[in-house]
Amino acid sequence: MKTREKRKKLWQGNGGFLYVLPSLLLITLFYLIPLVMTGYFSFTDYSVLKPPTWTGLENFKKMLGDPFFRPAIRNTIIYTFLTVPLQTVLSLWIAHAIASRFRGRFGRFLKSALFVPVISSMVLVGTVWKFMLATRGGIINNVLGWFGMEGLNWLGESNLALVSVCMVAVWKNVGYFLVIYYAGIMDIPVSLFEAAEVDGATGWQKLRYITIPYLKPITYLVITLGTIWSFQVFDLVYTMTGGGPGTATVTMVMSIYQSGFKQYQMGYASALSLVLFVLVVLVSGVQKRLFGREEGSAK
Amino acid sequence: MKSKKEKLVSFLIGLMLSFFAVLALFPFVYMLLTSFRQTYSMELDFSLQGLSLQNFRTIFKNFEFGKYFFNSTVVVVIACLLNAFVSSMAAYGFEKKRFRGSEALFRVYLATLIVPSQVILIPLFTIIQKLHLMNTYLVLALPVVNAFGVFLVRQFMTGIPDELIEAARIDGCREFKIYYAIILPLMKPVLVALTVFTFITTWNDFVWPLVAITDGNKSTLTLALASLQGNYATNYGLVMAGAALVFLPPFVLYIFLQKQFVEGIALSGVKG
Repeated sequence: MKTREKRKKLWQGNGGFLYVLPSLLLITLFYLIPLVMTGYFSFTDYSVLKPPTWTGLENFKKMLGDPFFRPAIRNTIIYTFLTVPLQTVLSLWIAHAIASRFRGRFGRFLKSALFVPVISSMVLVGTVWKFMLATRGGIINNVLGWFGMEGLNWLGESNLALVSVCMVAVWKNVGYFLVIYYAGIMDIPVSLFEAAEVDGATGWQKLRYITIPYLKPITYLVITLGTIWSFQVFDLVYTMTGGGPGTATVTMVMSIYQSGFKQYQMGYASALSLVLFVLVVLVSGVQKRLFGREEGSAK
Repeated sequence: MKSKKEKLVSFLIGLMLSFFAVLALFPFVYMLLTSFRQTYSMELDFSLQGLSLQNFRTIFKNFEFGKYFFNSTVVVVIACLLNAFVSSMAAYGFEKKRFRGSEALFRVYLATLIVPSQVILIPLFTIIQKLHLMNTYLVLALPVVNAFGVFLVRQFMTGIPDELIEAARIDGCREFKIYYAIILPLMKPVLVALTVFTFITTWNDFVWPLVAITDGNKSTLTLALASLQGNYATNYGLVMAGAALVFLPPFVLYIFLQKQFVEGIALSGVKG
């Protein structure tokens, strides 16, 4: 009787852990342990064939001489600076326009239509756009031709290729951030807009003085998420350009994949992964502080 | 009463937004049109002549897309069930059956959200190789359980009054039954959103299958599309048929569950 009661109490008191346990096992096995291993592998020489041997900072020194490392970093940064601002501004503007002018069926259709790219796989998006952007016979160049413009070598020219990939990324992401922004705008008290209207505020003024300040936490989220996604770009580049021409569209994750699974330098690939991780942590930290401080000073 | 100028502005903005909508949808229309044509040319052709299912027949017959479709489906089903159960159980433990250190552990969970999956790709590969999980359906589904799902469900679970659980307990309901007979049904809306999310991420996943699957027989549909594109780059109709096949299941689901899709996404953003 007593032991049974005790057991029941244990189950009720600490039983919660048993419910958490399955997820804890999976997260430990697939997130925590691998993260520690990435850290360790970074300082080793390691491939599938031979076990890791400690080499200290050798991998990081090697990065400096790696012809792919610099382009990878540079391209990833350019990619981020091209996509994030554009998709943030565009999605905010569209959300604002729909919320303030087209709340009916047309607005719903717009949101639904812009969301279709979001649910499609990056590989599919890359494949379709690659065809559409083909230099010879590609639909985009054909359309330009109708207007008497000369077609461009969208994916074949070093400077243009990365920009093309960025535009496709923006095309894919806008619908996602639009939905987030729209939900945020719906949370703004209507009375604010009504008061502004009484005062004769224009649409632009409402956007500038009510919507944007009110949505600051969401903008923080959209920028941080957008940045982290940009750092992870792989599928799109893999299908559209394969990193080329030359190293024009090689990204961080692509160089991790190449060195880890094509050249089997898994220690070196881990070191690259560690760099990526540090960058992601830094960027989210910086953006958090930036937005946190602005918010503080506004009050 | 809106002024004339205001109406004109609305019209112009509406026009611009319509253009965006066309831009968003056009590639998919193009994909579908091309997939029904025997074509090595990329010309856009809206005429209905010469449409046939030949490309689809070819990718099923000669390229075994039926098998890949099956593989993807199995993986997605495992992943969705697994994530719904594991996440809701964990959320229940964290929210309604707090234990010593549960809040600290939850913070560790949240911290893992900042780890991009690509950062741990190499060790993950090493681990599944050691566990002999390469080329299995299970391994494609397992990493889908993450802190996001737990967080999402927990957020929803705060709305359930503790009294409900207490009452069930007093009525003599067994502990585990409280979870699956009372909590789980109440979690339906958030579990639908989570499942939609799991479906999309697993169905569309590329990097992980690319690494974890070396046996062609276990390829997922996305992998198959990538290799089709790589090997038959000029048979546009054929590749577009493959792309259409990758596109349709999420799209059909989206048509039926639009609200849950958008809600799930909006929730993940605003609260995340």
